[in-house]
Amino acid sequence: MKRKGQGFKLFVLCISLGLSGVWSQASARDGELPPDPFRSVMWKSMADRFFPDGPIVFDGHVKVIAPASAEDQFHVPVTIDASGLDNVRQIVAVADLNPIPNILTVRPEQAVSFVGFRVKLQQSTPIHVGVQTNDGVWHMGGTYVDAAGGGCTAPAAMHATENWMDTLGLTKAVARRSDLEHARTTIKMRHPMDTGLAAGIPAFYLSNMTVTHPGGELIADVDLYEPISENPTLTLLPKMLDASSANLHVHARDTEGNEYDFDVLVPSSVE
Amino acid sequence: MGRLLSKSERLSERELSRRQVLQWAAAGCVFSGFPSLANAGKLLYPLTASKITDDTWAVYGLPEYFSSENGGHIVNVAFIDAGDGIVVIDTGTSKRFGEALRSLIEATIPGKPIIRVYNTHHHPDHVFGNQAFDRQTIAGTAEMRTALERDGTAFADNLYRLLGDWMRGTDTVLPGKLLAAGEETVGNRSFIHTPLAGHTESDLLIQDSSTGVLFSGDLSFLYRAPTTPSADLAVWLSALNAMQAMDVSMILPGHGPVDPKGESITQTRDYLIWLEGTLREAVAEGLTMNEAMALDIPSEFSGLYVVRTEFERSVVHLYRQLEDEIFDGIEVTR
Repeated sequence: MKRKGQGFKLFVLCISLGLSGVWSQASARDGELPPDPFRSVMWKSMADRFFPDGPIVFDGHVKVIAPASAEDQFHVPVTIDASGLDNVRQIVAVADLNPIPNILTVRPEQAVSFVGFRVKLQQSTPIHVGVQTNDGVWHMGGTYVDAAGGGCTAPAAMHATENWMDTLGLTKAVARRSDLEHARTTIKMRHPMDTGLAAGIPAFYLSNMTVTHPGGELIADVDLYEPISENPTLTLLPKMLDASSANLHVHARDTEGNEYDFDVLVPSSVE
Repeated sequence: MGRLLSKSERLSERELSRRQVLQWAAAGCVFSGFPSLANAGKLLYPLTASKITDDTWAVYGLPEYFSSENGGHIVNVAFIDAGDGIVVIDTGTSKRFGEALRSLIEATIPGKPIIRVYNTHHHPDHVFGNQAFDRQTIAGTAEMRTALERDGTAFADNLYRLLGDWMRGTDTVLPGKLLAAGEETVGNRSFIHTPLAGHTESDLLIQDSSTGVLFSGDLSFLYRAPTTPSADLAVWLSALNAMQAMDVSMILPGHGPVDPKGESITQTRDYLIWLEGTLREAVAEGLTMNEAMALDIPSEFSGLYVVRTEFERSVVHLYRQLEDEIFDGIEVTR
């Protein structure tokens, strides 16, 4: 409810800025905001909130893959593939009409600009993905997903189990070599990812995950937000340092300060 | 398919099944010109009865997924003249469908009461016409009833979204009579009940012992991709094996034309084996669900109606459980 209040204040602020003729100063962006191919009613608001600090270009190199119609509004699979872009600083995904639009931010340091995950949707919505390159430009892509209502306001399934705390942080993973230089890892952690919007259940979610090489070099840094589905499952494509097997280190933390550390073994490319 | 067809029956098999497929297609043609939501309040299902054997009629659904154009007329239902009254197998997608089915039965066999209604399983396209029938005549298994009681509201919510006004007034009606394995006499006939599972937690086979016709519910599909929202594939495959061993004259699957040769059993089994194998491999490779949804469908199955849609839905239904099974456990320090 608190967030709705904030949204309303923002709305009022936008209106008053518009009326007082200072709208152009509200954004640090130079130039016009391009029209949204997904025709989102929230496009300007999304652009100003999440992609404020650079020019925006809709770019076919940002592929956002999701089903046109969600079979399960609690687990809507999304894959972002921006592997065609170089010098990527960050990948930011938002669901325009979710009560909490932020989905995730990925900073791929030594990884292909690619991520797979699942998201909870509160209603049918456009999904916008901005991929910011080091020159500051936001390369945009997106899609539209039709969904039944209520994905963000129902209790997580694990709350129906005997003692969900017992299995919190239980982790499973698969890691493969896709070729000499790259691996493919999918990491699944048991976590309720409570949005705070289900009656009587405060927000509690895994908020950050970093993946590093054995020597400590950062592969990817991922911020996760409330709409990421229960038991978050992330697919990343790390760039490997050499052909030998390697234990990638993962450090994750949630909004109650729990810290999780584990290694995922990537086999050598000659196996 | 234990009971073999006679030689003359076998000779006419090909023609028979072709005729039935044509009938089935014809039902689709009639249907495609049907009013859309623009005519809300005048929505009517154009149900037609196709006689499949003595005293037995199938009402074929379209080989499609739910849409506001088809009103959920995607499922096969059937009725049988049992002398003193009528036996109905499944009731369709909505209150309106149930009412249209009643009118069709009355037009086909005037003046007889409906004395038994079977619900093969709890999925909404098979049971949401229950409202049009006397609850005390509606029979299903105890597990099916529990499942419908649990999921009915969510099913209705989803169908109101997908079908709109076709669903007007539709509500969940639970069976008034519970069935276990066995045989019951209804009118001048007897029906064998074989409770199995796999497509859902409870799938009831109904066989008319006079004609040998097996009503398979959604344990078998023909020329239309199987659906998996409540499926346990291993249990489903063993149910198909049990069906294969039964002595039947023909099968009316829940979706697709009548099946005189048991093709629906082999086709459903082959598809499920391919589906599971493909998804297991995808999970083991670490593919995202979206990547798995885009995998090729082999030519053996690519001609099935709505196969791409159902394959994509199945990825969502089955992937997470396969991940839990296949992924390596990781030791975590907290």
